[in-house]
This record gives sequence, C-alpha cells and structure tokens, in this order.
Amino acid sequence: MHSLGEIFASHFNYIAYVAIMMVGLYAMAAKRNLIKKIIGLGIFQTSIMLLYVSIGAKKGATIPILAKGATAIRPADYINPLPHVLMLTAIVVSVATLGVALALVQKLHKHFNSIEEDEILKELRR
Amino acid sequence: MPVAISALVFSAACAAVLFMQVLSTGSQTYLLGGWAPPWGISLVVDPLSALMLLVVSVGALLNLVAFSFTPSKWPLRKTPAFLGLYLLATAGHLGIVATGDVFNLFVFIEVAALSSYALLSLGGRRATFASLNYLLVGSVGASLYLLGVGYLYIKSGSLNMLDIARILTTMPLSTTALTGFAVLMLGLWIKMAVFPFHAWLPAAYASASPVTSGLLAPMTTKVMAYVIVRMLITVFPQNFLSAMLGFSSMAVWLACIAIIAGALLAIAQQDLRRMLCFILVAEVGYMLGGAFLGNDTAMTGTILHILADAAMTLTLFMAVGIIVARTGSSRIRDMDGMFTIMPVTMLAFTAGALSMIGVPPFCGFFSKWYLISGALEAGHWVFAGSLILSSLVNVLLFFRVFERAFFRQPSTAAVQGTGNWQQLAPLCFIALLLPAIGLATGGIVQQIIQPALQGVL
Repeated sequence: MHSLGEIFASHFNYIAYVAIMMVGLYAMAAKRNLIKKIIGLGIFQTSIMLLYVSIGAKKGATIPILAKGATAIRPADYINPLPHVLMLTAIVVSVATLGVALALVQKLHKHFNSIEEDEILKELRR
Repeated sequence: MPVAISALVFSAACAAVLFMQVLSTGSQTYLLGGWAPPWGISLVVDPLSALMLLVVSVGALLNLVAFSFTPSKWPLRKTPAFLGLYLLATAGHLGIVATGDVFNLFVFIEVAALSSYALLSLGGRRATFASLNYLLVGSVGASLYLLGVGYLYIKSGSLNMLDIARILTTMPLSTTALTGFAVLMLGLWIKMAVFPFHAWLPAAYASASPVTSGLLAPMTTKVMAYVIVRMLITVFPQNFLSAMLGFSSMAVWLACIAIIAGALLAIAQQDLRRMLCFILVAEVGYMLGGAFLGNDTAMTGTILHILADAAMTLTLFMAVGIIVARTGSSRIRDMDGMFTIMPVTMLAFTAGALSMIGVPPFCGFFSKWYLISGALEAGHWVFAGSLILSSLVNVLLFFRVFERAFFRQPSTAAVQGTGNWQQLAPLCFIALLLPAIGLATGGIVQQIIQPALQGVL
C-alpha cells in the first residue's frame, strides 16, 4: 500500500492539472465579467495541455533527433514527441477560440457599452 | 454566392458518388500525406459515414439555395465573409464524419464550432451574447473530449480509431481507459446539448438569422450523435459498456429527463423557433438513449433517427425561416391564417411536423418504432414511456400552430412580397424526401446499419 505522500509524488502532474482545471472552471462559472470568463476558459484549456506535455516527458531523455553517425538507438534516451506535437495543434485551436471570443466581446461592448454579464442581461430583458 | 452554391453542389455530388462507390465496393480509406496508419492520419468512409456525408452536404446545399433566393432584412447574408464561414462550418462537419483519427476529430470539431460561433453571432445583439455563451460551453465540451482522448492515448499509445479498438480489445479493462471513455462521452454530450447542458442551444439557434439556424440545427447535434455512435460501435469494445453499467444507465436516464424536459419546456414557448429548439433538445434525448440502451435494435433506431431528425429539422427550420423572412415574425400568435398566405410552405411544415410526431409513412415513425422496440427489449419502460409522451406532446404543440394557421383569418398585418419558386423548390424537395426516407427504411437498415453493427460484434 502506498502512502499518501508517495501517491502525491508519483501522480504530481495529474494532481496539478486537475487543480488548474478547477481554477479555470471556477473562473468561468463564478465570475460575471466576460473577459474574466474567457481567461478562465484559457486556464481550463491550458490544464489539459499540461497533462499532454507531462505524459510525454521523461527524466534524463532528450529530443528525438538522431545524432550524426549514431548507430545504437536506445528508446529510453528519447522523449515521446507526439503529445507535444498534438499540443502545438491544440494551442493553435485555443488561440483561435480566444480570438473569436474576444471579437464577440468587442461586439457586445459596442452594443451594450459593458462587459459585465449582469448589466447585459438587464439590458436584454428591458 | 454562385461560387458557394457550386462548391456545395460539387461537394454533394462527390458525396453521392462516394456513397454509391462505398455501397458497391466497401469502405474507402484515404491516407493523408501517404503515411500509413497508425502513424499518419487517415480518412475512412464506410457506408454509415458515407450516408452522413451525403446528409450533411445535401442539407447545407438545400438550405443555402432556399435562402439565397429569399429577400430578407439580413444584409450580411450575402457577403463573402458569411459564405466563407458557411462553407467552413459545412467542411468542419464533413471532416468530423469522415476522419478516422480521434485527435483529428477534435480539430474538426473545433473548425466546425468556431465557424458556427461566428455564424450564430450574426443576428443582432441577443445573438452575439448567446453565441459567446455557446462558445464558453462548447469549448469546455471540446476540451473534455480532448482530455478523454489523452487518457486513451496514455493507455493505448495510438490515435487511430481502428488501432485503438484493436489495442483495447487485447488488454484487460483498466480504470484509465474507462475514465477516458467517461470524460470523452461527457464532452460529446455537452457539444450535443444533452439536457442539463442544453441551455446554449435554444438561446443560440432561436436568435440567429434563419439561414444559420437552418444550417446548424439539423447538422451540429446530429453529427455529434454520429460521433457518439461511432465511438460506441467502432472505437470502444463491447465490454466497456458492460463494465460501466452505472454509466450507461445514467445516460439513458439523462435521455429520459431530456425528452420530458424538452417537451415540457417546448409547451411554454410563445415563439415558433424557440419551440422547435426545445423539441430538438427532446430529440437529442432520443438519440442519446438509443445509443446507450445497449442492444442492436435501439442502436438501429438511433442511427435511423440521426438521419430522420436531420431531414425533419431541416424541413421545419427552413419552413419557419421562409415564414420569418416573409412576415418578420415567428411568434405563434402571428401564425393566424398562414395556410392561406403561404400554402406551399405550410404544407412542407405540416410534413415535417407529422414526421416529428411520428405518423406512419414519414421517416420519424420508423426510427421511433425501432427506438421503442429497443427500449422494450432492454426492459427500460421509462424510456419507452417518455418517447410516447413526447410524441403526444408534439401532437399538442404542432396542432396548436395548425389550429391558428388553418382556421383563423389572416391578420391584415404586414405581409409583403411574394414567394418565388427557387426558395420553395428545395423546401418541397426535402419535404418529399421525408416519406421517401421512411419508405426506404428497410433498405437503409439492411444495406448500411446492419453491416455497421456487425462489423463490431
């Protein structure tokens, strides 16, 4: 049976990503300012990127590029690049999401002169 | 505009040719960049996805043709930016259907979603606000899907759907893979607007311009339902559902709640488009429940219902869109005498409504029949009961509209312009397709659905 400390040490990346994810979710649910909500969304997406990057990492390993003239290849020496590459795509996606979100907020600000959700809802009900 | 329409015509023609080819010679695989799977990304089209490709591209085409000839007060409708977004959204949905790679699917979900957010925001200030809320909820859904894919990758080391399925069957069940399954499904439910996560759908679709909701209402939820079906029948082995009986029964219960809540909320609506949106929430419940009941009959019903619901929703939203463009209102109390003002549109609307209710020659009846028999086979009386209840509520909802539209005198209020045949032809085509799909049910089940289900078992 592992002690709590051991579980914490061996699963550190998982605990970290869940904690960051919850911060993001809290910001999205509890904040009434639209920009803060979007920041929350960014934190949420980043936590998942952290998970992917952490599962590709390996202690003492290097990037998977063969040195010139290398003959023997030991897999333990190289990290798995695929999760990192996937996250490059996910970062692009989240930047695009951020762009669309900010454009929408700008449009809302033009219509309502406010980026507070409460004020916009009040204005819409009138 | 002509460019966009010809692009969609070309796309629909390709989908039709591909459909014929797949039916006669079996599934087609295209390797992007020539890399063999599991290293490269592949596009895989089997009969089921070929059918979905056809549905999506034909639906997008008919919708655009109908609205390009409708005079209306949305000037943005014909700008190049709008048409670009329209085509991008269509391409995203086609990509979701065709891809054979789970990460690539995430990218296509985001392509489709981002262009939908932009499209939906083009309908006034209420639409912009609804669209921002949709963006926040939808991005969380897509992120959760990505998280599920991450867990699957940790366990299987692969991203190709067939490869994951092969690896998962060779290894014993693990908590990691089951967690991945649950998180992935949760993300897809959010994107599909299953009941507790449904709030974005009526807000966004009811306030957007009619051409946008005519495109997205038939497409997004149905394509997401297709992804769930694809995950259940292709990616995850059968023992996943039996290992998580609690999870799948929760899904079916959620579906029951979605059906009943959707039906009840629909009664409360005073606006025709909002009413249709809540009926859509109930329909999402049908597809979710059928997919998780765990027997072939219900799964057949789900796949049929994806097809049928796409056709009926398209009919209804197009008809209402044409009415809105003509009279400027979609409130139910403004529907007085619509049958005398716009007989053809209302006839198409009636066809869609009867199919939604589940009257025999129309396709809605057959899918519902399969779903109810699947529910009875699984012994899930509540799900069967909610299906019947929701059909009865649909009768009430639509006859409330018919009563006004048929028997009351048209109000003298603003009815300007006349309908033209270019906008009515696509509507009539899709309305006639409803009974045609219904009568072709036997063929569809034999040719497409049964091979798809047996490929797994």
